Amino acid sequence: MKKILIVEDHIDIRKLLKMTLEFDDFEIHEAATGDAGWVLACELQPDIVLLDVMMPGTLNGLDVCRRIKSDPGMRHTKVIMLTARVQSDDRAAGFAAGADDYLMKPFSTLQVLETIYRMEAAH
Amino acid sequence: MTSLPLLEPASQVPPDTRCFDEAAAAQMERFVRDFGRMYRERNEALREVTRAHHAALLHLSAAADLKDDDTGVHIVRIGYLAEALALALGQTVGYARMLRKAAPMHDIGKIGTPDSVLKKPGKLTPEERQTMNCHAAMGAEILGRSNIPVFRMAAEVALTHHERYDGQGYPAGLSGEAIPLSGRITAVVDFFDALTMDRVYRPAFAVPVALEMLAAERGRAFDPVIVDTFLAHAEAIDALRCKITQECPSFDALIDAP
Repeated sequence: MKKILIVEDHIDIRKLLKMTLEFDDFEIHEAATGDAGWVLACELQPDIVLLDVMMPGTLNGLDVCRRIKSDPGMRHTKVIMLTARVQSDDRAAGFAAGADDYLMKPFSTLQVLETIYRMEAAH
Repeated sequence: MTSLPLLEPASQVPPDTRCFDEAAAAQMERFVRDFGRMYRERNEALREVTRAHHAALLHLSAAADLKDDDTGVHIVRIGYLAEALALALGQTVGYARMLRKAAPMHDIGKIGTPDSVLKKPGKLTPEERQTMNCHAAMGAEILGRSNIPVFRMAAEVALTHHERYDGQGYPAGLSGEAIPLSGRITAVVDFFDALTMDRVYRPAFAVPVALEMLAAERGRAFDPVIVDTFLAHAEAIDALRCKITQECPSFDALIDAP
């Protein structure tokens, strides 16, 4: 079963993302800050990380993405950035940080699943 | 060193701040849950339809194959051998699996080929050859009516499995990489499997002879990379061929195997 980590500071958004992923069989983990997300990622070595860009704490989403991408234990880990529609620079910044894909907020339930299936198919 | 939080007042904001009104959040969750149920039910229904459609088309392919003096296991072998060859070529597991399900239907169009042509002993006249060659396009038409990916691939295989790498094939005379990979792989597997089975007009060729005949078509009928890969994995592929012949997996197994 694919292991997915959601790193998102808004509890409601996080819950909706989790409920969306529950449409299928995934092992789902959650973190509410970049810092907590990084710690959990190291521990779990997830297959996919859904990563918000703007989060409180010392590490934002881009920092976490860069760390994941330079960690030898997480070479298999795909990162999908969650970017706000208004901040169009987020997308470029996300790819510069090594993100594999991105999703715009407000996120589309079907797009979340399609993006994850695409990551799986690329394996 | 740990002075960062002072620079970033945002970090003082407690995580887990709500962004929705509680009642609105509850209602939204209700919607998502219902949507999830419909999503799963829809996928389940689609799977059922696909499976029934697939089984029917496999039976039709087997019927076409029976006209052509075979026991039906040939088309199952084509599926598994095409899957193995696709994997050996470095294709994804998903692609290889889809090819396993799609390739067995490549000759479904022979259902429309008159027996007088299909079963004619000896050489075909140019008109008969033309009638025979129609099976590729007919198969593509039977299979191509669906939007489901596995049938789209099956239609592609049916249409292109008689194209030749050197451009001398039919129906379109495509050459090289212009021939879809699925068709190029199936052509190789079909050639080898047909040679290594008994036909009414000749006994099976020995495996080493069949491999030599395959090598002779490298860059002519077949993609050189695919032929090289086949030859490099010939032992494993032939072992799989024997295993399938012995176990004779059902169509259900062909559809459902992971």
